Order: sequence, then structure tokens, then C-alpha cells
Amino acid sequence: MRLLQILRLRLRSLFQRGAADRELDEELRFHLDHQVEQNIAAGMDPAEARYAALRQFGGLAQHKDESRDARKTRVIESFWEDSRYAVRNLRRDPFLALAATVTLAVCIGANTTVFSVANSILIRPLPYPDADRIDWISERSGPAQQDIGAAPDYFALREQNRIFEEVAAFTPGTVNWTGIERPEQLDAADVSASFFRVMGTQPLLGRYLTRDEEGPKAPQVAVLSYAFWRNQMGSDPNVLGKTIALDRLPHTIVGVMPQGFDFPRGPQVWLPLQIDKSTQSFPLRPTAPIQIVPILARRKPGVTPIQTATEMNRLTFAIRSLYPKEFRKTGFRTDLTIAATPLQEHLTGQVRPAILVLGGAVALVLLIACANIANLLLARAGSRNRELAVRLALGSGRARIIRQMLTESLVLALPGGAAGIGLAWLAVHVLDSAKPAILVRYPAISMDWHVLAFTIGLMLATSLLFGVVPALSAAGIHIHGALRSAGLSHSEARGATRLRKILVVTEIGVSLVLLIGAGLLVRSFLHLAHTELGFRSDHLLTFRVNPIGSFDSNYGPFYAEVLDRLKRLPMVRTATLSANIPLGDEGFHQTGRIRVVGRPLVAFVDRPIIDNTMVSPEFFRTLGIPLKSGRIFDPHDLALPAEPVVVNEAFVRRIFLGEDPLSRRIGFGPDERPVTWTIVGVVGDIRSTSLGADPPSMIYRCTCAGTPIYLAGFLVRTAGDPETAIRAVEQQVRTIDRDQPISDLKTMDQRRDAALAPERFQLILLGSFALIAIVLAAAGVYGTMSYLVTRRTREIGIRMAMGARQADVLGMVLGETTVLVVLAIVAGLGGAWALTRYIRSMLFGVSELDPTTFTLTSVLLAAIVLMAALGPARRAVRIDPMTALREE
Amino acid sequence: MSKPTDLVQGTLDLLILKTLALGPMHGWAIAQRIQQLSKDVLQVQQGSLYPALHRLEQQAWIQAEWGESDNNRRAKYYSLTRAGRRQLERESISWERLSAAISAIVRA
Repeated sequence: MRLLQILRLRLRSLFQRGAADRELDEELRFHLDHQVEQNIAAGMDPAEARYAALRQFGGLAQHKDESRDARKTRVIESFWEDSRYAVRNLRRDPFLALAATVTLAVCIGANTTVFSVANSILIRPLPYPDADRIDWISERSGPAQQDIGAAPDYFALREQNRIFEEVAAFTPGTVNWTGIERPEQLDAADVSASFFRVMGTQPLLGRYLTRDEEGPKAPQVAVLSYAFWRNQMGSDPNVLGKTIALDRLPHTIVGVMPQGFDFPRGPQVWLPLQIDKSTQSFPLRPTAPIQIVPILARRKPGVTPIQTATEMNRLTFAIRSLYPKEFRKTGFRTDLTIAATPLQEHLTGQVRPAILVLGGAVALVLLIACANIANLLLARAGSRNRELAVRLALGSGRARIIRQMLTESLVLALPGGAAGIGLAWLAVHVLDSAKPAILVRYPAISMDWHVLAFTIGLMLATSLLFGVVPALSAAGIHIHGALRSAGLSHSEARGATRLRKILVVTEIGVSLVLLIGAGLLVRSFLHLAHTELGFRSDHLLTFRVNPIGSFDSNYGPFYAEVLDRLKRLPMVRTATLSANIPLGDEGFHQTGRIRVVGRPLVAFVDRPIIDNTMVSPEFFRTLGIPLKSGRIFDPHDLALPAEPVVVNEAFVRRIFLGEDPLSRRIGFGPDERPVTWTIVGVVGDIRSTSLGADPPSMIYRCTCAGTPIYLAGFLVRTAGDPETAIRAVEQQVRTIDRDQPISDLKTMDQRRDAALAPERFQLILLGSFALIAIVLAAAGVYGTMSYLVTRRTREIGIRMAMGARQADVLGMVLGETTVLVVLAIVAGLGGAWALTRYIRSMLFGVSELDPTTFTLTSVLLAAIVLMAALGPARRAVRIDPMTALREE
Repeated sequence: MSKPTDLVQGTLDLLILKTLALGPMHGWAIAQRIQQLSKDVLQVQQGSLYPALHRLEQQAWIQAEWGESDNNRRAKYYSLTRAGRRQLERESISWERLSAAISAIVRA
């Protein structure tokens, strides 16, 4: 009942404000009239009685205001009033409105864009039902901390765990779509039948794989991705039951997944993973079942992180004891653990630091923008002092003035914020369609209501931030001083001037931090771009062949023929076969522990882990890798008792420091089944994995030694532009087998370019943020110095009249700027010193405290800022003493 | 410009409620009545009276009605609501406890 009445009263004061106000007036008039009557009765004359009554009542306007405040809806009402007033005010100052809108549009746009990226990748749940219950299961041991599962884990987890509903294994790979005009290599994923149940997504058409389709003799079936079904099958509604030839074998299509389901790594088809339950292995290769396999599991509902950790701990012990004997003997560190990480965390772990750094940088830019707008508002507040003083004198409360000023800054921020959302919308579309390499593996970038809420919050925070300084400074106005002085009062302006200087110093300092960050990235990028690869990347065409058929077939003759035909092409100088293409992402590294024959035996786990790969003898000549000592293997070596291998210098430094490695023998693999190799030559190092990393130690084995090679890369050195050889190369492979597609066809220079893509992306973004920051800071300096010069026109006039030369005036203005710049640079260097450690992981070959970068950027910024001050300084110089003195 | 302290403000509310318990009256009369009842000890700050009245009205402890005054003018008459009567009881009790406590200290 009471609440209802209160509501009625509030609504009345909101919507019948005029009536309520009139009633208030009438009520107060009634009161005053009574008082006047009483005063007259006491013997005063009418005029005196009226005056006394008013005095007895006290500040009429103020009490009226308080009475209105009692209605509680005042905040809303005065907000509307203030907004209308602010709009009128801003119309009178279109430059301010434009400058603030443009600045905010750019900065809020940039912040919203970065937040959209963060939101899409780090925050928004993965697009699977209850995605937060999907875990990535991985083994971790030793310093390598491998982040992937192993076969025994899969079987043990399935049978022994108490917290997971379902466990799945999968391996991403490729398969060749054959029996069509132009055979194509498809991205595929071999998955256990449980895979789709772990992911939780329902098929669009048909069904998932079933348990019976996992076995070795199971029927060949395939599930298609939405994109493949739409683009290659023409969205055929009757596709179920049709067959598709994959690696020349007919596969029955049993299902189509819905749009957006692209785990793992956007495959076009999902095929059953071959699982042999009797041996608890995945017989992808009968000779050596794969042991390394990514594992996913779906937690039961309501399982807490602590329960998960406890259970994984228990499983770790259980699984360790399950490992085959030979595994245990050949060495598992006792620190091996099996961990469950939320899938999203696992997928985004790599890109998270970069996004956070960009977010921090873009927030700094916004901070500078706020300082800049606060500066503009302060300048305006200076010229509004009189207006505000009048309002204060008329009884307006200081809190009321602050509220009004803040409303004005909110009104000022609105169009900028709205335009910022628009800009961000554009940027997000561009980002999502262009998909820079660094974001390719992550979910689509898009905006949603989270982003909108973030931006609105950001806009409010921003307007509060740039509005609070002028508002407080306005509330601190001394009424008498402001009313007495004509316009710009000196005593008044001193406080505002100091504030403006502080703001400018902040701006310059923060821009220096950004500039140093960008500078470090530039140096790091240049370092990477000029890294010695250790081989010649020009005139080199590269491609892969993922052969049709199973792992254990012998592709030696096929590859030999391809190589032979390639070499005979007129535009080809040399060609080579290599299991790995340097700077290529897929490939087949064999990694294992080695020992040196003749040295005392050490425990398996303590032996060094070295990569080995297979190349044909022409590899070194084709890539221009220098032979340092010994010789390259050749086909005649087959007669030797131990397989001949070539090692690189990094290997020698690591294993044979100070010794002659030639003719030494090294053992590979477990001691029960040792393989022995003889070192016949040493070659130069190449950066085969990434530009930033040191060249890895390598052992090169010859493809001629008889070990079957499955996946192959070809490297072709051409006489002319390698792109002109593409057609001929494709033709040669098709001539031998018209079903065999080639893939990953790129020149080595393209690969080198792609290897730099993530760094380039970060550099461009951080660089443009730094650029915006500098422009804003320069504008801030220009504005402040102009203001100072205007304020001191009279003083400068007097000085010049007293004989100061133009150089003195110029020196005065620039000197003042220099003081600000020096302060700002000291602050900025301190800030950078504290912050650059967060981009350490993004830097190569340059320290995060690189003195060159710190110095050069400081000098550059100082130069830009002084240039910005030059305009106002020259205006000061041109001041005519006579006009200046006559002015005020 | 110091605002009346909470104590004073709260006290004014109590005085208004108590005065209105005698029957509906307009602002001027309330001020006069408080002054009269307190034997001129309490002088109501006329300026704070109306904000207080409006605040009490917004709390729905008193309600307002326009009526004719003794000299035939329109005046806004305030009267206690049922909630206001309860509020008056609460405030009286807490006031008596407070004043008794202060008296006890002052006399000791």
C-alpha cells in the first residue's frame, strides 16, 4: 500500500514535473505571504516586511531545489536538463565536439575491436554444448612438458576414470579425394567413435560414427563437414549412403556436421580412428602403432576443478603402473603426470599473451585520449569560469555543478562511442574475413552483447575519466575572483595550467611507453627478417605429397620417379626429397634419445633428445647448405654395416664439443632394439623450424638407405621464377599417378614470409596504437602550449616592449616545453622499464630493456613534441607588443 | 554551507510528524505550532521545513491535499498516513531512549 503510494508520487514528479513545480511555488508563496502579514502586524511597512520575510526564509532557490531533491527523481530530471544544456553548449563549440568525437571514435573503436578479439577467443565459450566440460588430456614429464596424450592413457581413462562421461582420441591428418577430375588433398581427422559425443554437437544430417566402425575390419565410412557438403556436394540432401573415394577406397557417407563445427583444425571429413582393442593400440601403422594421440574427455556435470585434479592424480599412478614393461624400463621419469586442462585454455594458451598485450596497449591509447579531451575541456572550463561562478553565486551547489559537468562529458562521449562501435564493427569484419595468420586457428571474430556492454561501460568510464578533472576544477572556482576578473583570471588559471601540464606529461609519458613497445617489436621483427636461414630461400619451389595408401606401403620407387622427372624439367636446376620442408608446418620429425657408442652408458632418460629426418643426397646442394667436413652420403653407402648419417654443427657443438665427430657411431632407440649410425659428414646449421628459434641439432639420414618414407616433401631449385614451374611440376606428378594430388605448394620465400606473419600482425597493431598515441600526444602539446601562449600574450608583449628579442621568446616557450618533455620521458622510461617484460616472449634477438630502442624512441618523441610546440612558439614570437598591451 | 546534521534533520521529522498527529495543517501552521508548543525554544528553520515535508511525503508517511485556508486561500494541507503514525511511534520511542540516555549522562 505504502509502496504503491510512493511509486505514484515518483511517477507524478517525473511526468507531471511542471504541475509539481507550480504547486511548490504556490506553497512557498503562501508561506511567505503569511510571514509578511505577520511582519506587518508587528509594525513593519510592507516593503520592509517582505524583505524580512525573504531573509527569514533563507536561500529561496536553494530550498526549492532541496524540496525538489526530496522527490528522488531529481537525478533523472536534472540529467535530461543537463544533457539538453550540454548539447546547446557543444553546438557553440563544434571544434571541441569534433575533436573529442574523432579521438574517441578511433580509441573506443580500437578498444572495442581488441576486446571483440579477446571475447571471441578467450572469453566466449567454444561453440559446443556445455563446452566448459570438455578437457584436453595430456601427459607432462621432464623439461619438455609435452602437451599431448599417449595411447595407454586413452584406454586407461576409458576404463578407470570416475569423473568423465566419455573419452575420445583423434589424430588430425590428410586424405586424398580420388576418382575425380582433379584429385584433391582433404584435411581429415581420424576420430574415435566417442569423439562426437565428447564434443556434444549433434549431426546436421545422418549420424555420428559408431563403436563398430572403430575396428580394423570395420566398414569404411565418413562424416562430412558442413562446408565440404555445401561446396563440394552442392548441399545434396540425399548425400547419406552415397560413397566418396578417399585414397581410392569407397567410403559411405553416414553424416554431415552442422555449420561451425570445425574441430580439430577445420577438417573436411571425419573418419573412424582404427582402434585395436585387443592390443590397446591404434594400428595406423601395423609395424609401430602410434603412441602419441590427442585425447579429449567430457566431464560429468557438476565435477569441480578440485575433484578433477584429485582424480587425475589418482589416474596418474594407475596409468604409470599400466605402461608396458619395455616402456617403464626404457624410461619414464617419475615426475610424469597426466593432466586435464579445459579445452579452451589449451587451445588459446598460445595467443593469450599477445591479446593481453594488445589489450593493455590499446587501453593506454584510450588513457591518452582521455587526457587529451580533459585538456580540451579544461581550456573550455577556463573560459566558462564566469558562467560557473555566476551559477555558484546564485546558489547552485558544487555537487550540482560537478554533476552537470559530468553529464556534459557523457554527452560529449556519446557520439564518439557510437562511432567507435561502428568503426569496431568494420574492423571486426575485416579481421574476420582477412583472418591474419595469428588468428587462423581460432574461432570466428565477432561482436555480441558482451562487446556492446563492454563498450558502453568503456564509454561511461571514459567520460568519467576525462570529465572528472575539469569538473573538480570547476567546482573549486573562487566565486569572487572569477566574477571580478574579466575573462582569463591569472590567479584562477594557475591551478588549471598546472593540471594541463600534468595531463600533457602523462600523455607524452604513456606514448613513450607505447613507442618503446612498438620500437622493440620493430627491432625484433628486423632481426627476424634478416635472420640467416643457413640456406638460400630464393628460386625454391616446395610442395608435399601425402601418398595414397597406408603407412606401411613402400613409396620409395614412386618418389624416386617423381624426383627423376622433376630433375629433367628444363627450368629445374636440382631437386630433392625431404621428409620435412624447412619452415613448413607439417612434416615428420622423428625424435629420440641417442647415445654415443664407446662412451659409458647412461640411463635412457638422461640421454639427449635429438631430431632426425630423412633427405635425399641432393638436399644440401639444392638448398645451398655448406658441407663443413667429411662428405655427404650417397647411394653406395648402402653397403656399409652401420647406416651413414650427416649431422649439423649444432649437433657437433652439443654432443662432440672439441672432438672429431667423423666416423663416430651413435646409437638410437631403446637398448633392446638398438639402431646404430655412423657420422660421415658435418653440414652447416639451418633454421628449419622457426625464424626465432636457434637452429636445432639435426641428424640427416639418407632416403637411399632403405628405410621406407611415407610423407614426402619436395624442394625444387629453379632457374627462373619458381612460380612459373608450378604447372610443369604438377603435371609431372599427375603423369605418374593421376589420382595423386600434391599439396602445400609454396615458394620458400612465401614460407619465410608466412613465418613472419604473427610478428608482422603484432607489429602492425602495436605500431598503429603507438602512432595514434603520438598524434594524440602531439595534439595535446600543441593545444596546451597554444593555450599558455594565449594566456601570456600580455606578458610576452610587455617582455618584448622591454627589449626581449624574438629568440628569447622562442626560447621561453620551447624551454617550457622541454621541461615537460624531460619529465615525461623520465616517467615514460620508468613505465617502459616496468612494462616491457610483458612482451619478452614476443621479442627475438633484442632485450626487453634494449638501450638503443629506449634512446632512439625517446629522442624521436622529444623531437615530435618540440615540433608540435613550434607552432605556438612562433605565434608567440609574432606577438605585436602594441596590440598585446592594448588587448585586455 | 553546512547542511543540518542527521540528528537535527531526524528531529525535525519527528517534530513534524508529532505536530501533524494533532490534525491536518499547512506548512506555515506547522512551523507556528512547533514554535508555540516548544514555548519559543525551537525556531524551525523555515527553509528546511519544506524539503523535510516533501521528503516525508515521498516516504508516504504524510500525504498532502490542497484545501481552503482560514483566509480563503488555497493551501497545501499535510496529514499523517497510517504508515506515518507507525513511524511516529518508532521515532518517539527512539527519541525518548536517546534523550533519557543523554539526560542520565548530563545529570550524573
